[in-house]
Amino acid sequence: MELKAANNGSYPRISDDDQRHRQAYAKLDSKEIAWDDFEKVQDEVTRDAIEEQAKAGLDIVTDGQIRWYDPVSHIARNLEGCEINGLLRFFDTNFYFRQPVIKGKISRRDSLAKEYRFASGVSSKPVKQVITGPYTEAKLSINNSKADFRALVDEFAKVIAQEVKDLAGAGAKFVQIDEPAILKKPADFAILEKAVKKISAAKGGIELSLCTYFGDAAPLYKKLVTLPVDTLSFDFTYSPSLPDLIAEKGCEKNLGLGIIDGRNTRLDDKDNVLAKIVKIMPAVEGETIYIMPSCGIGDYLPRGTAFKKLQIVAETTEKARQMK
Amino acid sequence: MSRSKLKKLGLNLPILPMTSVGSFPKPPYLLEARKKFAAKQMKHADLRELEIRATREWIRKQESLGIDVMVDGEMYRGDMVAYFAENWEGFKTSGLVRSYGNRYYRKPIIVGEVKAKGPLTVDWWKFVQSLTEMPLKGMVTGPYTMMDWLFNEYYPTRRDACLAMAKVIRGEVKSLVKAGAKIIQIDEPAISARPEELPEFAIEAMKDVTKGIDAYFITHICYGAFEFIYPEMLKLSVDNFDLEMSNSGLDLLKLFKKHPFTKDISFGVTDIHTHVIESNELVEQRIRSALEVLKPEQVWVDPDCGLKTRTTEEAIGKLKAISVAVKKIRRELEA
Repeated sequence: MELKAANNGSYPRISDDDQRHRQAYAKLDSKEIAWDDFEKVQDEVTRDAIEEQAKAGLDIVTDGQIRWYDPVSHIARNLEGCEINGLLRFFDTNFYFRQPVIKGKISRRDSLAKEYRFASGVSSKPVKQVITGPYTEAKLSINNSKADFRALVDEFAKVIAQEVKDLAGAGAKFVQIDEPAILKKPADFAILEKAVKKISAAKGGIELSLCTYFGDAAPLYKKLVTLPVDTLSFDFTYSPSLPDLIAEKGCEKNLGLGIIDGRNTRLDDKDNVLAKIVKIMPAVEGETIYIMPSCGIGDYLPRGTAFKKLQIVAETTEKARQMK
Repeated sequence: MSRSKLKKLGLNLPILPMTSVGSFPKPPYLLEARKKFAAKQMKHADLRELEIRATREWIRKQESLGIDVMVDGEMYRGDMVAYFAENWEGFKTSGLVRSYGNRYYRKPIIVGEVKAKGPLTVDWWKFVQSLTEMPLKGMVTGPYTMMDWLFNEYYPTRRDACLAMAKVIRGEVKSLVKAGAKIIQIDEPAISARPEELPEFAIEAMKDVTKGIDAYFITHICYGAFEFIYPEMLKLSVDNFDLEMSNSGLDLLKLFKKHPFTKDISFGVTDIHTHVIESNELVEQRIRSALEVLKPEQVWVDPDCGLKTRTTEEAIGKLKAISVAVKKIRRELEA
């Protein structure tokens, strides 16, 4: 079994000293620059976000989701049959997303593979592509189509399965499907399961991960481990009983330990983090344990703090390796 | 139902009292002045003068519409959490954090024991109350929302941070009541953020704020995942829940049918997220829907939430629709 330091998802796009992205965005809004000029800035900022993650000591990075307006509408914006509505609070955070409105049958206009190709092209480390999952997309959308909720999840699953297939074609090795919404309604597990099966069938050689956050995964743990994915990732900040539960029940899959608090600026106590890792390590039969922040850190932390958090991820991973 | 409590406090409010949640739009001259002040091109005293002017205008406007319980409109406030954090001890400011799209803000960080430097809102409350004969709400942000919307590097747990906030907020509430405030609103928009924390410590924190203080307490809750916190939330030690009802198509009434709503309610009858000014008839219809499930003595009427994101014209339009609809239904109830 190997230990790897990984980012969860997003990374902050601006800091006090570097506001290129914000300024370019404002210029795009006021039509002072064209979309292509803005994309050049997004390329630069993505490159820097990737470099910072590597500099912090991570083994697996993401593209920082710099191009994502938010975790929900980035996927939906790319769909026929879908419009983007007003702002809504993203779970219990202070961050707002634009709510998709489903008007009819959905289909993709473009692929995320383009974003993956750019990121992997500029990264010295393997890049994990993050995608918000079909259940969460459907749950956070306004459904004005003829399809009922189950059918809408199926449609999203189809779209995301195509995305995963394209990513495999582009050479992606790691894809993470985010499904935070399932923790709010565990009774919908069967709907999620059907969707995950569809995506899994398209994964080819990809190591497919399912990630939940902003809730306690313990009550659903026994069911989640049955899903056809390679890796399961959890937010430990909401789930005090999870380390003991995993230690007791074991895990045949790879495990992502979202153990560094991605929502608070307090720098995590490394000994405390390490103690949790050590407790879980012997129970994992999968090949890899990923140490990660508890959620994407791009929309919740200032960039300086986000960098320090990733350093803690890397340092505790290294220490845990030595204790193996 | 707290009609007797209101009477005891000397508040003779009509049936279906009309009020507002807290904020009103800042007039253009004040927005301009705030920008200048932020850029250090204006003195605080000059800004204050314009805040006073705008507050006077909103008080007159509320009076002319026949609003029964006034708010000051929050002309002096930016963010409801940062305002307190910036004026209390124990905080520092963070780097930039994204709010949505291309919007960023600085979120205060608790870095030490939180303490008040003295009453914060009291002088202003006294001044604004002196402008009107009608009762004026004292307004504070609640302990759970303060805790949830700040970074916390000092207190070991969320519970500890929340209860520490409660202590400081209680001090502010006591000062407001001592100054003569009879109606205190404690804003808790975040209360449903983590439903499991409601019984764990949010109810306790509210009790810590209000216990033994002789006032009529309102708590304002919006963005709520009410299905997870109702009816448990009725245990919060307040007299009146000010709820965003219209944005969700009055869905909450279904919950109230299942489990009776046992307190007073400030029933939001205009959606603050839309530029559309509701017709008098629509507002009337919403009040009538409320009265099918709730007793008239329980119900206050107001917009869903603070109106600061609307234009002045929209805000006044929405208040006017409330005023017309309430007066009509009042006449029927009194007949």
